[in-house]
Formats: sequence, C-alpha cells, structure tokens
Amino acid sequence: MRNPLAYAARWGWVNLKNEVLVLPSRAFVLAWVSAVLVLPLVWPDPYILRIVTLTCLFAIFAASWDLLAGYAGQVSFGHALFFGAGAYTSGLASLKLGWSPWVTVWLGVAFAAVLGLVVGFLCLRLRGAYLSLATLAFPLIATGLLFAFPGFSGGELGVSGLRSVAPTRIGNYYVAAIAMLAAVFGLWKLADSKFGLVLHAIRDDEVAARASGINTPRYKLVVFAISAAVAGLAGALFAHYIRVAGPSALEVALSFQVVIWGVFGGVATIYGPVAAVFILYPLTEWLGSFKAFGELRLLAFAVIVLAVLLFMPRGITPWVRDKIETKCPRCKQRNGAWRAQCRLCGAPLREILASRTA
Amino acid sequence: MVRSFLLAAALAAAAPLAQAQGTVKIAILGPMAFVQGENHWAGAEMARDEINKGGGIQVGGRKLQVELARIDTNEIQSVPDATNAMERAIARDKADFLVGGFRSEAVLAMQEIAMDNKKLFLGAGAAHSKLGINVEANYERYKYWFRVTPVKDVDLVRQSFAALGEVAAQIRKQLGKESPKVAILAEKAVWVEGIVAAAQKNLPAMKMEVVGLWQPSAVATDVTAELAAIDRSGADIVFTLLSGPVGIVVGRQMGERNMKAIAFGINVEAQKDGFWQATASKGNYVSTLETIAEVEITPKTVPFVKAFKERFKKSPTYNAGTYDAIMLLREAIEKAGTTDADKLVPVLEKTVFTGITGVVEFDKRHDPVWGPGKVTGLAVQWQDGEKVTFWPPQVKGARPFRMPAAK
Amino acid sequence: MARSAGVVIQMLQDILVTGLVNGGVYALLAIGFSLVFGVARIVNIAHTAFYMLAAYCFYTLLVTAKLNVLLAALIAIAAVTALAALCYRLVIEPVRSHESAVLIATIALGLIFQELMLVAFGGNFLGIPSAIDGVASVLGVSIPYQRLLILVVAAAALAATWFVLYRTRLGLAIRATANDLEVANLMGMNVNRVAMVAVALSVALAAVAGVVVAPVFVVDPLMWLAPLVTMLAIVVLGGLGSLKGSLIGALIIGYVEAITVFALPQGAFLKGAVALSIMVVVLLVRPEGLFGVAFEEER
Repeated sequence: MRNPLAYAARWGWVNLKNEVLVLPSRAFVLAWVSAVLVLPLVWPDPYILRIVTLTCLFAIFAASWDLLAGYAGQVSFGHALFFGAGAYTSGLASLKLGWSPWVTVWLGVAFAAVLGLVVGFLCLRLRGAYLSLATLAFPLIATGLLFAFPGFSGGELGVSGLRSVAPTRIGNYYVAAIAMLAAVFGLWKLADSKFGLVLHAIRDDEVAARASGINTPRYKLVVFAISAAVAGLAGALFAHYIRVAGPSALEVALSFQVVIWGVFGGVATIYGPVAAVFILYPLTEWLGSFKAFGELRLLAFAVIVLAVLLFMPRGITPWVRDKIETKCPRCKQRNGAWRAQCRLCGAPLREILASRTA
Repeated sequence: MVRSFLLAAALAAAAPLAQAQGTVKIAILGPMAFVQGENHWAGAEMARDEINKGGGIQVGGRKLQVELARIDTNEIQSVPDATNAMERAIARDKADFLVGGFRSEAVLAMQEIAMDNKKLFLGAGAAHSKLGINVEANYERYKYWFRVTPVKDVDLVRQSFAALGEVAAQIRKQLGKESPKVAILAEKAVWVEGIVAAAQKNLPAMKMEVVGLWQPSAVATDVTAELAAIDRSGADIVFTLLSGPVGIVVGRQMGERNMKAIAFGINVEAQKDGFWQATASKGNYVSTLETIAEVEITPKTVPFVKAFKERFKKSPTYNAGTYDAIMLLREAIEKAGTTDADKLVPVLEKTVFTGITGVVEFDKRHDPVWGPGKVTGLAVQWQDGEKVTFWPPQVKGARPFRMPAAK
Repeated sequence: MARSAGVVIQMLQDILVTGLVNGGVYALLAIGFSLVFGVARIVNIAHTAFYMLAAYCFYTLLVTAKLNVLLAALIAIAAVTALAALCYRLVIEPVRSHESAVLIATIALGLIFQELMLVAFGGNFLGIPSAIDGVASVLGVSIPYQRLLILVVAAAALAATWFVLYRTRLGLAIRATANDLEVANLMGMNVNRVAMVAVALSVALAAVAGVVVAPVFVVDPLMWLAPLVTMLAIVVLGGLGSLKGSLIGALIIGYVEAITVFALPQGAFLKGAVALSIMVVVLLVRPEGLFGVAFEEER
C-alpha cells in the first residue's frame, strides 16, 4: 500500500470494475472515449481522420441543440445561426485582425452567445411550433445581411484561406476530439445538475415552474446563451478546419440536419444526438464512397432515419439502453440486462420483468 | 525479369504510385448528380479514351494508361461533403491528379486540401478570382492550382462589354435609337460587383444609358416585380449577370411578358441545352456569354463538340473543359518526362496549349490569359430552340444576332 | 429623391397588382399547411415537397406523356393526394404520439422525395408550358394570363375549402377536432381518420398549387425549400391553424416582397429577409400571430 502508483492503479481498477463495467452503457462510453482518443495513433489514415474530426465537430453542434431543444423544450429550427455566427466571427477576426485562431475561436463563442441572448430575448414569449418556425427565420435574415455587405462578409464565397488551429492533421484531430469530449461531458453534467432539472420543469410546464418561484425568462435566456455558445464553438472550429466560413454554414439544410441528429439519437439525453452523429455522419460518408451508389447517399440517409424512427420513435439511444439495461423497480438504479437481482438493493429484476411481459 | 523489376523500382522512386502500375490516376471531382458534374465526367471520359486509344501518355520510354476516378463532391448541396470527397480522392483513390470543381465556396475549401497534399489541381468550373489570387499571394503553397476553364470573373467584364457593343449596334441600326437604354439585372453575388461597377461607369461612354440596377437573389424563383419595374423603365437591353437558376426564370418570364427588351449578358443556365425546355420555349432571343459551342474557336473545337454530341446526345458545357485539362496534363507530363507535381508546375507555367476553348496560356495567378488569339470566349443567342453563336463575328460558324420582331 | 407623381402612381399600381398575384400563390400553400397544423398539430415540413411532386407529376403527364392539360392536372392532383394519404398511414400515424418523431418523419419524407426526383430527373431544371399564353393588362400593369389563372384557381380552391369546412359534416368534424382533439375523440369521432382527411385535403391544395404555379416557375428537385420558408413565415405571421390568418399573412408577405423590390431595386435579394423580419416583428407584438388563438398550454 505504500507505493502510490500501485495504490492509484488499484483504485482505478476497483472503480472501473464496480462503477463502469457493471453497466453496459458506461462500459460503452469508456470504450468510445478511448477509441476517439487513440484513433490517430492506431489508424492515422488522413481520410478517416477527416471524417472523424468533422464528426466530432458536428457532435458538439448536435449536443448544443439538445440542451436547448431537448432539455429546455425550445425546439430551435434555426440552430445554424449560432454555428454560422461562430464560423464567421472567428474566421473574420483571424483574417482581418491577424489573431491566432486560439483566440478568435473564443470571440466566435462569445458572439454566438450574444446572438443566443438576442434570439432568446426575441423568442421569450413564443412557444411550441411558433418558436420553432420563428427561429427558422433568423439564419435566413442573417444570410440576407451577409449578402448585403459583401465587402465585409465575402458574399456568396464567404471568407476563405483561414488558418487551421493546429499545424498538423493529428493536432487538428485532437483539438476537435478534446473540444468535443469537453463540450459533451460539460453539457451532460450541466443537464444532470439542478440547472438541468429546472430546464426539465420549464419544458414540461412553464406555468407551474413559474408558480414555484423559478424565474423562467432568465433560465431560458441563459440556456439560449449556453447552447448558442457551444454551437458557436463547433462553428468556429469547423471554419478553421475546412478553412472557409461561407453562407453554407447558415443553410436551412444544416438547421434541419441538427434536428434530425437530435431526434434520431433521442432528445434530452445529450449523448443521444452525439451517438446519432457518430452513427449517421460516417455512415452517409461511407455510403457516398460507393461509386455507383454515392449519389444516393442523402436518399439512403433519409430512408434509414425514417425506418429507424418507425421502430424507435423515441430515438435510437433510449431504445438500445432499454434493451441492454433494466431499471430496478425498487431503487430506480440501472442494471445490466443480464442481472437477476439489482446490484444495489438486491431486489429481483427478472420475475418482475417476466410478469410484466406476460 | 530482374531488370524490369529494377526499372520499375527506379521509376517508382521518382513518382511512387503511378508509374509502378503503369497508369496515371486522375480524379474527376464534381457534383455528379447535376449537369455540371455530368459534363465534368463526360469531358474526362472523352480525354481518357482518346489518350488510351493512342497508346497512353509517353513518359521516358513507357506508355502510361489514364485511369479516371469518379468522385461525387455533392458540392452544390454541402461544402464539407466536397472536402471529404477531395480527401477521399487523395487518400483512398490515390489519385495522382485532381480535375474539376464547380461551386467557388467549395472549390476554395477543396483547394486547401489539394495544396496540403501538394497535388496538382486543375480547375474546370469555378470562376472566382480568389482562387488565382491565392497563387500569387502564397506561391509556394498554392502553385499546384491551375484554372483551365473558365476565364476568371474579371476577364468576363471585357468579354461581355465587347459583345454588348455588338448588341447595342444592332439596336441602333434596327430601332434607330442613338443611345439604347440598359437595365442591369444582376444576381446579388460578389462576382457581379466588379462587372456592375464597370458597366455603370463605362456604358455611358459606349453611348448607352443605364436606367437602373436590380439585384434579385441567385436562387429567386420569381422576378415578376423586377421585370415589371424594368418594363416601366423603358429599357432596350436587359444586361443580365446571373449564374443561378434565376437565369431560367428571367428568360422565361421575359418571354411570357412579351418584353420588347432583349436579355444579354452572363446567364449560366442559358448556356445549357436544357434552357429551351426549362423556359418552356419562352427563352427566345436570350443571349449569354459562352465558353464552348460548335464553331471553330480552334481546329480542335468542332471535332470535339461533334464527337461529344454523338456520344452523349447533348452539347457540352464549359465543365467539359475537363477534357482540355487532361489533354494539357498529358502534354505537360510528356514534356517533363515525369508525373512529379513539383516538376510539372514550371512546365505547365510555360505551356501554350491549344485546347477546345482557345489557346490556354497561364498568367502568374495560374489563370488562363484572356485575349484575342488566346481564350476569348463566345456569345450565343437562343433562336427558335437553337443556340447560335454570334460573337466574335469573325469566328467560323458564327451567325448574326437577331432582334425580336417589333410589336 | 424627387420623383414625379406619375412615376409614384405607376409604382403603386405595380405593387398593388404584383403583390396580389404573388399573395394568391402563397395563400394556396399556406392554407393547406395551416389546416393540417390546426387539425392534427402536425408541422408538415414535407408540405411543399408534395407541391414539388405535383409539379413533377404534371410535367411527366403533360410534357412526356403528352396528355391533355386538364386531364394531366387532375391525375397529378389525385395521385399526389393519394400518396399523401398513404404516407400519413404508413409513416406519420405510427409515430403520432411522439411529436418530435413526427417532425423528423416529415423532414425525412421531404428529403426522400427530393432525392427520388433527383435520381429520376437529375438536377436539371424543367419547364412546364403555360396553360394559356398571352398577357393581360390590369391597371396598366401587364400580367401574363397564367398568373391570372393562378389567382382564379387560388380563389376557387379557397372558396371550396371554406365550403368543405363550414358547410359539410366532414368540415364540422375537422373543425371539432381542431378545436379540441380529446373531446372530439370522446364524442366518438375517429380522430385519426379526420386527421388523414385533413392531410389529404391540405396536400390536395398543395398539389393544386404545384400544378398551376409550376408553369410560371422552374421545376427542380430543390424547388420545395424556398416556398417552404416563405410559407412557414406566412403561417406563423397569420397565426398557426387560422385559415383567415394564412390568407391575410400571404397577402402581407406578397406585398412586403413587392414593395421591397420596387422601392429598393438593388436590394431585391433582400425580399425574403425583409419578409421574415416582418414576421419576427409581428411575433414580438403578438406571440400567437395575427389571428392565432392563444391556445392554452397543454398540461
């Protein structure tokens, strides 16, 4: 026990065995994180790295949407506004002021957050479909403005020739991967906190939330700002990665895309949309690499999404999680689906399940 | 056996993949589901078959066969898809050379990846000058980019004014108007800005009166309001600068309204065969600048267009300039005796290549030089379902410009 | 900016007529969308995709199969309406209880239709000949007959919709369901069937729009996106679920766009952005739109 290293190893192993490996979902997350982190070391193929880098960036974007739409119930149809704001702000600042992307990315984040506050403020009184459709308008208005000032924004071309964040391919990969892990775990923690609970309350019943003394407008503004800031981070990193910030970062298609990711993965989970991006983005790209089939990738994508939703209308991750894990009826803890007894309170799991299905 | 192995190894050292396999692999990048990509691919297939039938590309006593990789960039719908496609062409398909591209925003992003990998990228679609400015500003990085077609946006100004003078002369002659009125109808885009400014400045000097400037969106589906206003302004010429689908709408709705003004300028959609059908035969008299048609721009043009029509049952658009790009590449490779990109760059810079759209010679931005005897382009007009070349008048095969019958 | 009075009057005439005609086109699309939202609470993103399908169907029948105009139009409308009912049955109904899944299902449907047309017809732009050629002069503004036809068809379709909704038992059922889904259900109505009828009715309106509007625009696989955004803006502006609101919203947007183009020719590209800004401003003042019912929160 004297050796601190051995102690740490032992502590790590015990925690791994008792906290992580007992639940398939946790083991899966661990495997996924390790895979993301070691990928460039074991498989430094430039094409694969590019796909996974973009996947990471879109995963940040999808997770940010889920906080706003899934937890707070503010189903934004114009989330590309924040993505584009991050991309353009960071791109323009690094190009016109000559600052390092490491600085300008944060400018992009800040500006996106400000836009989030503005949009949130304008949409405070809207709810449901009104909010969704009104938010759809903002990226389009912003596109109009970009075209109106082409000297500044580059019009239909956007700003090009941006510097990358890191000099090497692997460096860029790690920037995206670590930003993704940090953003996703940060959002997940946030959504799991008291703050997340309040958001749940606002989504389910805003009047009741207000009646219990919650300043709902303030919470909504904050969640708009946080979500926009994270989306802005994704946009800024994206712009420096593909080295162009153009009007395509504000397209309706991108706004719809993030809604698809979110719902496909399962809303109000954070990990759901991330999983959806990690499944769908490489999948469509892979479909696109078939010579005869490549042009059909969007069709295949839409058909897959539709087919999966018909079987799993709540999204893919809640469905999978229900298959591999069961919730203890007594203490509400999650257990691996193979267990007969709850790992914490010892309550029987099988019989109850059997009687329920019978 | 041993000797040939040694030879192959030596060649492989010079230029790793291509020569070891006895092929040169060229990736054709374009939006394959759209007309642009179809033409990219069709032009490239023509070049490949012609070269391979002739034995291949002669490099140091060996004949290399051309192998094409069809890469769908989906760039019209998604810019990241285009960058992925570029990376795939290089990393997966192991392409030695890259040819194609269409949407400027996407090509700028694709250019970066090609330059990262120090691969020759021959553009056959994007007109924006920024692509060439990159070469001048940072030669060491961007020297692998060459634009084979079209001429850059700035040169389109000269080309359009020269042809516009021709149209105005017709109007003066037929309508007896000393200074024809011109309404400028330009989509809102960066590429039109220079042309619009130049038009507003120079047209009065060319004895034309500018009556107004309308700027719809490039993807507008309706220009009724714009055309009603232009009708009111009493314009004789509608100087169009349109690259998007709005070009069809303008052609069609002008025809529907029986406008007496005629449309001339740049209308990319009017360059396509499908224009006549798309306007439901309403696009009569619409004219536009063009890059290629069945007229004798160079001795190669007419045979190419004829063979193209024979094979694909439609006329080529300028994106079929992939043909020129590959032919040019062959000439450079044979001259340099290698497929090494770094050695090919200086050769390409010095090459004077007679292609199907003119004589291609690169300037310091690696753009084709515009001018008589080089690449000038054409101007065409739709006359009763047929696309007729009317400018430059001296080109063999050109026919006169027609005015709508006075009503 | 000293303009002579004559020019101003001419401009007003232009605005008056152009705005009305464009508003008519928009109304046709917006009312159907609004109907489905009102009855079934479905935000049908694929609404304009059906409009696109109708245009393609009409094109195939008219130009490729060379059918008679009227016949081609009727077949196209019927086929697309039937397809919509089928899609509702197979795709929307199974996930009706999951609001977000419905949303994605409609987006996915729109994408599938877009890509299918892309595969079948390529990314080319196609033109459909007008039903009637020629130009009429209204208030000194020249308007092609086809546009007047659109106006007439729009008015007729709206009148027919009004008749169905307010003068038939079916309409009563639709309105009852729109008013309170649960009570309608308790009263023994088959709300699912009512929803399907509403979907069919709404898509039929979109198909009518596709058939009469397509000849003045260009047919291509991406043609559903631009009207989608305008339509959503109109519906939100007028108030979701309110047919009167959609009609007035359509006219407002039609006029706003016309005014933008005439008053600011160099800013013609901004007409969409200006229309959307108007929508945002209206929502700031009235969060439920001009004629929307501030329906209580569903708890």
